[in-house]
Amino acid sequence: MSIFDIWLGILQGLDVTATVTGYGLLFAVPFALIFGVAQYLAKGAVLFAVTCIIEFWRSSAVIILLFVFYYALPVVGLMLSAVTVSAMVLGLNIGGYASQAVRAGLQSLDRGQKEAGQALGLSRSMILLLIELPQALVAMSPTFVNHFIQLVKATALVSLVTLTDMTFRAKEIAQIEYNPVGIYTSLLLAYFVVCYPIAILGRLLEARISSGRELARGL
Amino acid sequence: MREQSPDMATEISGLNKWYGSFHVLKDIDLTVAAGSRIVICGPSGSGKSTLIRCINGLETYQGGSIALGGVKLGDNAKETTLARRDTGMVFQSFNLFPHLTVLSNCTLALRRVLKMSRRQAEDIALHYLEKVRIPEQAKKYPAQLSGGQQQRVAIARALCLSPRLMLFDEPTSALDPEMIKEVLDVMVSLASEGMTMLCVTHEMGFAREVADQVIFMDQGRIVEQARPDIFFGAPSHARAQQFLEKILH
Ligand SMILES: Nc1ncnc2c1ncn2[C@@H]1O[C@H](COP(=O)(O)OP(=O)(O)OP(=O)(O)O)[C@@H](O)[C@H]1O
Ligand SMILES: [Mg+2]
Repeated sequence: MSIFDIWLGILQGLDVTATVTGYGLLFAVPFALIFGVAQYLAKGAVLFAVTCIIEFWRSSAVIILLFVFYYALPVVGLMLSAVTVSAMVLGLNIGGYASQAVRAGLQSLDRGQKEAGQALGLSRSMILLLIELPQALVAMSPTFVNHFIQLVKATALVSLVTLTDMTFRAKEIAQIEYNPVGIYTSLLLAYFVVCYPIAILGRLLEARISSGRELARGL
Repeated sequence: MREQSPDMATEISGLNKWYGSFHVLKDIDLTVAAGSRIVICGPSGSGKSTLIRCINGLETYQGGSIALGGVKLGDNAKETTLARRDTGMVFQSFNLFPHLTVLSNCTLALRRVLKMSRRQAEDIALHYLEKVRIPEQAKKYPAQLSGGQQQRVAIARALCLSPRLMLFDEPTSALDPEMIKEVLDVMVSLASEGMTMLCVTHEMGFAREVADQVIFMDQGRIVEQARPDIFFGAPSHARAQQFLEKILH
């Protein structure tokens, strides 16, 4: 097997990696927004419950969560497909981290922003949607790009629940042919090729935000 | 733009407020008649900001009542929201929305609260931006403007909702000296058009020129309330005398 064949073999897993990533975003983005905002607004028992849920997803080991949801839940009669389990576990884990960025972004806004909205007679939800979230999300967008990259990299774990992603393909090839250096270097490069453009995108975004700020300051 | 009539007065009676165990406002009685211009001054921490923040519901209070144009401002959220629309607030730190253009800052509430069309809202916003003498900055973002310009935008933003009462909390104290005048000029012309104003400021020149009442607060109380000529001529309370000596050098 040439290096070229190894590459082709690994890339056969790209669609699974991409599917889990994309599907995972469908869990991560709403979770981050809803729970980040909830943690910012809620009080008392609701705040406690929200924080518990976030901490569960953020602080549990992803591998164990994958095993629990894939192998243990069927025992109690709940069958979820490997893709669903993977997307949910990885998505909510990253979503848990991202929710903290959402909350921190909202909390770091000047209190005067909310007050100015109140003084204009805007409702609380309008203040959130029109004033607070737009500012917080823009400020936090480089962080979200980092979380996105983490999600892509974390999909390497789904090979443990039978999905034939790029990592699984590499292990398959490794069983046919003894070439650990060639195979795993190729695998490493494959993830790099996927993630690096995202990182560049993140940097462009960051540059735009800070130049936007400078422009706004009149430099 | 609205007609001013006597029933639009703001009545504050027996207002008491605590922050925890700290009694920040004590038995405040104050009537702001429609068309009147009241300047509030007093040492730092005397409760000036807290008082005007109570009037538009940014702070809650524990005793007494505040009525705007006959409507009592209660803990009913809807009434509070309505009362806020009748009062315009100008903050020391401008509090413009940095992610919106000057024009959008002004049209936001018109469009979202009063549900006006964009055209209609922009016409109103431009009218008030002209009034504060910066229509040409409408497409810029707040941070591209000087402090004085930002504060004038903040005034225009508040005026857009045709408030019956304008509240100012030290509108010029975050400004460099050369910009204070442009903001005060706008406020003077507002006053000359009959706007009801309640203004916390230590700009005594402004107070002399436009105020019909000066209120001196100390430790949560209104200690003295007088016409400016009397207040500046011979304040009756020792604390007010000391305060005036300090700020007038
Ligand atoms: N959120 C709060 N919690 C507790 N105490 C507060 C709070 N806000 C204000 N205070 C206290 O209440 C008092 C009155 O504050 P306020 O801001 O009304 O004073 P002020 O007269 O506007 O002073 P300044 O001239 O410094 O603006 C101060 O002693 C202040 O420390
Ligand atoms: Mg104050």
